[in-house]
Amino acid sequence: MAPSGGLRYFAGRLVTGAVTLWVVSVLVFSAVHLVPGGYPDIVLGPASSPQVREALRAEFGLDRPLVLQYLEWVRHVLTGDLGTSLGTGEPVSAQLMRRLPVTAELAGLSLALTVLAGVPLALLAGLSRGRFGRGLSRLVGSSAMSVPDFVLGSLLVFLFSRFSLGLPVGGYVPLAEDPVANLRSMALPALTLSVFGLALVVRTGRDAVAATFSSPHIAAALARGERIGQVTRHHVLRNAAIPVLTVLATYAGYLMGGAVIVENLFSLPGVAQAVLNAINGRDYATVQGLVLVAAAVFIAINLLADFAYGVVDPRIRAGHRG
Amino acid sequence: MSAITASPASTGPPPAAAPRRHLPFHGDALSRLGLLLLIGFLLVAVFGAWLPLGDPEAVNAGPRLAAPSGRLWAGTDSLGRSVLPRLVEGIRTTFLLAGTAVMVTAAVSVLLGMMAAYYRGLVAELITRGADVLFAFPALLLAILLAAIVGPGAPGALISIVLICSPLMVRVVRAASLSVVDRDFVVAARVGGAGPGRILLVHLLPNIAGPAVVQATYALSVGMLLESGLSFLGLGLQPPSASLGSLVHEGAVYLPIAPWLVLIPGTLLTLAIMAVNLVGDGLRDALDVRGVEVRR
Repeated sequence: MAPSGGLRYFAGRLVTGAVTLWVVSVLVFSAVHLVPGGYPDIVLGPASSPQVREALRAEFGLDRPLVLQYLEWVRHVLTGDLGTSLGTGEPVSAQLMRRLPVTAELAGLSLALTVLAGVPLALLAGLSRGRFGRGLSRLVGSSAMSVPDFVLGSLLVFLFSRFSLGLPVGGYVPLAEDPVANLRSMALPALTLSVFGLALVVRTGRDAVAATFSSPHIAAALARGERIGQVTRHHVLRNAAIPVLTVLATYAGYLMGGAVIVENLFSLPGVAQAVLNAINGRDYATVQGLVLVAAAVFIAINLLADFAYGVVDPRIRAGHRG
Repeated sequence: MSAITASPASTGPPPAAAPRRHLPFHGDALSRLGLLLLIGFLLVAVFGAWLPLGDPEAVNAGPRLAAPSGRLWAGTDSLGRSVLPRLVEGIRTTFLLAGTAVMVTAAVSVLLGMMAAYYRGLVAELITRGADVLFAFPALLLAILLAAIVGPGAPGALISIVLICSPLMVRVVRAASLSVVDRDFVVAARVGGAGPGRILLVHLLPNIAGPAVVQATYALSVGMLLESGLSFLGLGLQPPSASLGSLVHEGAVYLPIAPWLVLIPGTLLTLAIMAVNLVGDGLRDALDVRGVEVRR
């Protein structure tokens, strides 16, 4: 029964993800096409004479029913063609490929920092019993949860540029050019983005560890004479992993928004900056392509998290929960 | 995506009915600190306009980019405007905008969440699926997209906060309602001839008020974060009106020479959000609500 139950769980998640992605694509497309001053108006904007307008409408396929335009767009997206920038005439996918490494590195570094520092800290906080220690961790945690990334980033920019503390502020160096300089230029942006994630992981992990430790099967294991380290490894980590995985998926969604702010603040030439530029420049072809990709990535991450729950916790796979 | 579920909350008597003998957040010093801070911010937001601080929009109240001093406590900005009254206006705008958005969010999501629990079948399916789809948008990205469509300004920020905070709140309210909707007193009311409106408002609402209030508190902090983030990107509030986020945006250019223009509103914003979060934590513990989460 376990394999079929597991298969059904994974397949169900996959279908939900696909349906969500479809609805998102419809929403993005209609938003960009139906709003006054949207895609068609930008394309036809410079044309004054009716003849030129007609020619442009035919060229961009705007004279056809909206449903067909949508299907055409989806067909192109499925073959890897995200459209052409209305500003520069460059294919959106080319721009995406050029900028993706920057954003991926930023997100990867932030996530790594969050997990590598967050999980041990969460264990430590969950196992500690002192009143002072808990109060302190709550105070630090809630400040880290509450500080907006642009405030934290601005503070770091100010401190590191005013007192020259050894890390460069702004000025992106490609990884291929000089790996060390690249890491140094990414350190502050990644730190800015990871603080919220750290707070999230520590807060959730601490509560999960504390809750697991107070459950009867831990007391039973300890009473049997198992060592505390062994109990932590065998019983606590696995049970506490689920909520932490959940907040990591949430954090991935936050990273996408946070990247817009951090890439803007530290002038990193990433995808998020391109989205912002496209919106400010009313380049709706780029907007719809990049937002769709971002939503797809986010949905994929959530799917991965759902799969990870299934792997970590057999009860979920078998459909006993939710 | 449905993995972020809200577990059923306590279904005891509604919190307002419970007699409280001690001060709020007994034995929880941090949440008390948060409450005090929040009250302070709200007092400034409500009465700040009557304080004799000067005109927030008067140009050349002092030299340009003057550092904080005895006369101009928070210094002046690039147009020589005194920053202190602008900070007060910023606090008011930030709380007003996020607060309004959260009230709309709460009204819409409480109704939808209760309906999703009461009517099974198509209605429930539509509501929960709709929440799932909205959830699939990264928060700030959705807000930026909306700002592009509606145009930068308060309305766009308000709509995005509602759209971003609603899905989670609908889930929380639905989960709480599901644990109540099959209990005997609801069945008895239905048998006794009570209509859906009466059951939702009289029988369900008081029982889900706890989780809803806690979630609304967190939504307030998320709303403040979103509004300030949008304003920082120049897509939120437009000059000459000011929110704490737009003040940081205006000051960002002068960060190296006039850091107070960024650091003072930034610190105030952080403190305000922290106060709301701490009060949320305190409420969560006091009302014994589990499974309510923060999203940003």
